[in-house]
Amino acid sequence: MRVLIIEDDAETAAYVVDGLRKSGHVADQASDGRDGLMTAAGGDYDVIVVDRMLPGVDGLAIVKMIRSVGIKSAVLFLTARGGIDDRVEGLEAGGDDYLTKPFAFSELLARLNALARRPALAPIETVLRVADLEMDLIAHRVKRNGTDIDLQPREFRLLEYLMRNAGRVVTRTMLLEKVWEFHFDPKTKIVETHISRLRAKVGSGGQQQLIHTIRGVGYVIRSPS
Amino acid sequence: MSFGLPLRLVRTASFGLALLYATLLAVSAVILGFIVYWTVQASIDRQMGARIDAEIEILKGELRSGGSAELTREIETRINYFGALEYFLSDADGKRLAGNLSHLPTTDGWSDIAIADPPQGKDPKYFRVKTVHLDNGYRLVVGDDLASKEDIRRAFLGALGWALLAFLVLTLTAGALLSSAFLRRVDVIGRTAEAIINGDLGSRVPLRGTNDNFDRLSATLNRMLDQIQLLMESLSQVSNDIAHALRTPLGRLRQKLEVARVTSGASSKCAKTIDAALDETDNILDTFSALLRIAQIESGTRTAGFRELDVSKLFETVAEAFSAVAEDDGKTLTAAIAPSVKFWGDGDLLSEMLANLLDNAIRHTPQGTHIEVSLVNHCSQLVASVADDGPGVPPAERERIFSRFYRAKGSISTAGTGLGLSLVAAVADLHGMKFSATDNMPGLRMTLTLERGAINTRRPRPRAWRAIDYELAHEAREIV
Repeated sequence: MRVLIIEDDAETAAYVVDGLRKSGHVADQASDGRDGLMTAAGGDYDVIVVDRMLPGVDGLAIVKMIRSVGIKSAVLFLTARGGIDDRVEGLEAGGDDYLTKPFAFSELLARLNALARRPALAPIETVLRVADLEMDLIAHRVKRNGTDIDLQPREFRLLEYLMRNAGRVVTRTMLLEKVWEFHFDPKTKIVETHISRLRAKVGSGGQQQLIHTIRGVGYVIRSPS
Repeated sequence: MSFGLPLRLVRTASFGLALLYATLLAVSAVILGFIVYWTVQASIDRQMGARIDAEIEILKGELRSGGSAELTREIETRINYFGALEYFLSDADGKRLAGNLSHLPTTDGWSDIAIADPPQGKDPKYFRVKTVHLDNGYRLVVGDDLASKEDIRRAFLGALGWALLAFLVLTLTAGALLSSAFLRRVDVIGRTAEAIINGDLGSRVPLRGTNDNFDRLSATLNRMLDQIQLLMESLSQVSNDIAHALRTPLGRLRQKLEVARVTSGASSKCAKTIDAALDETDNILDTFSALLRIAQIESGTRTAGFRELDVSKLFETVAEAFSAVAEDDGKTLTAAIAPSVKFWGDGDLLSEMLANLLDNAIRHTPQGTHIEVSLVNHCSQLVASVADDGPGVPPAERERIFSRFYRAKGSISTAGTGLGLSLVAAVADLHGMKFSATDNMPGLRMTLTLERGAINTRRPRPRAWRAIDYELAHEAREIV
């Protein structure tokens, strides 16, 4: 994954770049909007990370510039604000995701992975498969090893999001945003509760567990192999 | 406006002032009128007296020069003059010798007498008469008709009455006109204030350019509003600066702890301490961002996220998400939500608001508690409530639960920032809803009420970036 970070705070930028390189990705850094724009135009980045508060210019303006010159890379905003209107503004300006500072590196990495692997022209999938678990998106049915699993609508969406990101860690906040559309942090264990119910249904009858908890990061669904 | 206007007009200060002036002027006009009236009356009396006295002197002269026969003849002649006075001459026995008055007054000197007018059968006529004794024992009476004085009195009072009437009509009309002009301008100021209350800080009172009192007052108000807007903007600037200045170092602290956590390895002794430090840092950051968010919401200008929402769906999603949590916690959560209720608001904030209420209800009640979330769509109001049958909150503490950092007794140990209900109150206020806590007998009931009239009063304003949009896009093309 090729990532460009447009961030004026050298320490945060170094932290992100370091982390990404250690995880085996290519990461470049630009410290202002002009520099960032030129680097973005030159390199073929999968994701561009833009800070909303850059010296003298709003990160929104940079993303609008990036989009106006036809750069198609996914964009993730970093915002250090109270953030009520920030998400809406960011998405309207052409951003794909946002993350409030300060953040855990694992959260950023999970979101970058989800953005980068999103194919530009996704073939329309009708069936998702992980090991012997099968989700038919048209019939709205889930089968494990040929046996129907009865899921609530929200559990279906939760499983669908996990399966679309099979093999990749998704965080608690990503699930809250994508499955429930909650753009705030409920102090209640909503995700944990629903995951454990889903797990009970998918792994019933002594079958091998497919949904795994990654401590301190989130969840992943993957084949046992 | 239509029915209330006359009443509103009458209640204005300018109308009251006009009425006060009208009354004062009318009273002084009446006083002036009566002074003039009395002066005129006194002058008429004097003239009348002088004329009668003069007539008596002339007649006395006739008696001295020509004797009683001459006097009698002279009186008979004078009776026939145009505008003549009235006379009566009698001898010592009281027998009439000449004159046209029908009878004698009982007393000597000046007196006013009434004489019936039998032929016409009308009211009696009034005369002012003077009775004198002549040298030869005769009595002479000379008088004048008081009708002329009465005519003058009537004419005068009539004129005064009409003048007062015209005066009142004019002042009241002028007062009403003044007041409606006054009201119009007051209404303009009122509308501006209303717009500002609703979050449009840029609204100003329009000036007429006439530099009258109102214009000067409006200009002063506008200057005050400029100042307030500046203060509010610098306040939000300060909040943003604080956010940046404090969150950045806190963020770095978190980054360093995270790096330390990774390098120390999961099994090391430090790992637990570092995890605890990370949790503490996250708590500080949570409290901090909650405070900033509440401040932002309370400033009332954050309405960019307002959309037409299906609030029923939104409530169902939140209720469903929490019902599983409640169940795992040994409580039950049911929902009674009216279908497809449309609402103008910020979906994220409303979800967070309901989530905070439900989180609160689940967190602070014992096992076995039943919690109900409801949305009722009355014709005049929309009522949302979260009620439980738990131990409730004592009446004395019920108001305090909305204040920041409030923790119920015995709940200090439970997690949370103590800002949940402050945020609920702020979001409710932003949407024009009333937020209250009442006794659910038993338990606590949190109610949010929106009066129908208040819906759709707030509209989003254009976002700041639209202004810089095109210019920067143009610049971008030049750079690349």
